[in-house]
Amino acid sequence: MPPDQWNAVALDSQIRASSSNPVIVNDYAVALWRSASGQVNAWEDRCPHRGMRLSLGFVEGEQLRCIYHGWGYAPDGQCRQIPAHPDLTPPKTICARRHAVERRYGLIWTNLADDPQAALPDLGADEGWVAVRSIFLTGGVQEARKAVAGDLAEWDGTVSDGDVVTLEMPDGTRLAAAFQPVDAGSTGVHFVARGPAATAEGRHGLARQVVQLRNRIENN
Amino acid sequence: MTATTDPVARNEWIACGWLGQIRPGASHDTMVLGQPIRITRKAGDGYRIAEIGEDGAEGRELPVQTRYTCIFTTLGEPSRPLPEIAEFDEPDRIVVGCGNVGVNTSPYRLVENFLDMAHFSFIHVDTLGATDKTEVLAYRTEHRKDVDEIWAVDCTFFQPAASKAVKGGQMTRYQYRVMSPFSVMLYKNISEDSDRNDAICVFIQPLTETRCLAYMPMAIVDNENTAADIADFQQSIFLQDRVILENQRPALLPLDPTYELPTRADASSIAFRRWLKAMDIRFGIYEKQAA
Ligand code: FES
Ligand SMILES: [Fe+2]
Repeated sequence: MPPDQWNAVALDSQIRASSSNPVIVNDYAVALWRSASGQVNAWEDRCPHRGMRLSLGFVEGEQLRCIYHGWGYAPDGQCRQIPAHPDLTPPKTICARRHAVERRYGLIWTNLADDPQAALPDLGADEGWVAVRSIFLTGGVQEARKAVAGDLAEWDGTVSDGDVVTLEMPDGTRLAAAFQPVDAGSTGVHFVARGPAATAEGRHGLARQVVQLRNRIENN
Repeated sequence: MTATTDPVARNEWIACGWLGQIRPGASHDTMVLGQPIRITRKAGDGYRIAEIGEDGAEGRELPVQTRYTCIFTTLGEPSRPLPEIAEFDEPDRIVVGCGNVGVNTSPYRLVENFLDMAHFSFIHVDTLGATDKTEVLAYRTEHRKDVDEIWAVDCTFFQPAASKAVKGGQMTRYQYRVMSPFSVMLYKNISEDSDRNDAICVFIQPLTETRCLAYMPMAIVDNENTAADIADFQQSIFLQDRVILENQRPALLPLDPTYELPTRADASSIAFRRWLKAMDIRFGIYEKQAA
């Protein structure tokens, strides 16, 4: 049973409209796709027809189409079209496996539990968060969290450790690092920021600092 | 992996090389069903195949047959002979061998892909299928008990460029034939006024449960194109399939009919899976983890 826990899996701005993307959480493959109108979905990366990875599919309007035989799935997971039989109404049983998904703080979060009860990490108001940068670190999530918190402690400001590690900078900017456990040997870290430095230009400066952080950690 | 203990898989003939691959006097190491083997071409034209032991030395000698441009062996005692494919003996046909192509999936995913018309309009756009003509018309499947083969007959599909020999779109007629869990072929009727079919085979060498080599011998009716042109065409089609095949999850074939959900166009796959289940083959089959 997957744990009832929310994991950040991407920066919201990384997942473009009308795209399907592969994402791995705790060794489990997810297709993260966004419809033309902007709705985000996190599904098992496996077509119910014959197992094709849905992250290689293509988005057409509000449907995700599998690349192998073109079956089309609506955001509720139901198969709506089977091109081999244009007149057939697909049976209800043909349904992609969906997972809970949320957009908050400039991040996309998913919870793989069958019946998620856990709350999303609380970073205060949802407005004003901007994407900074995603990095991947070698090692499991505990290790990565410790390394990131350790490095941020050397920056100017105050670090708070938790599911999400945050740094309060002297100018009032908040930098947040949210973690994606990929597998035992790899962790994704998604950085977002809010406050005075979280502008179009300021963002790039922060992104550069995050890349330096990664280099310091990986070269250690 | 170590050699499979599955007696059903061990008792099949399996392609393990193509004629011309090994120089006289030379040998080639490969694997079937997880068992390392060494194929040696004798001074004349014969082949010798032996298992390779843990110590790297040659062990038990294995049976050999050469046919349809391929070398075949078996780890057990075959319950069925190599299939009869008469088209390869017709003197006016072009027989093309094509070497082999590696594909990281189970042998049965390869067979199912070969049996499948519904993917033509998505994966082989402008050759075997057109994006606006996706319908798969009803066809029949048969389990021919006398030879223990699965057939799909009366298949038709609209094709913009069905082969190297045809120009322009047409309804192509197909028959499919699964001769063993590791070999499949099709008869493809391209010319309206002819009863002569192109015969295209796929013989699969499972190195392990999820790594295969595919051999594609063909006996083609074509007065215009060279064997090399025909091989190029098939090769380009096959490379499009490989991308798909290596991205199916799981790579092993699930036989539980609720795990992957077929539609009418999948009648041949349904028949194939039932047949595999009935023969109780274990090699390369996905056993769903208890939830
Ligand atoms: S595997 Fe997805 S439509 Fe066939
Ligand atoms: Fe194909």
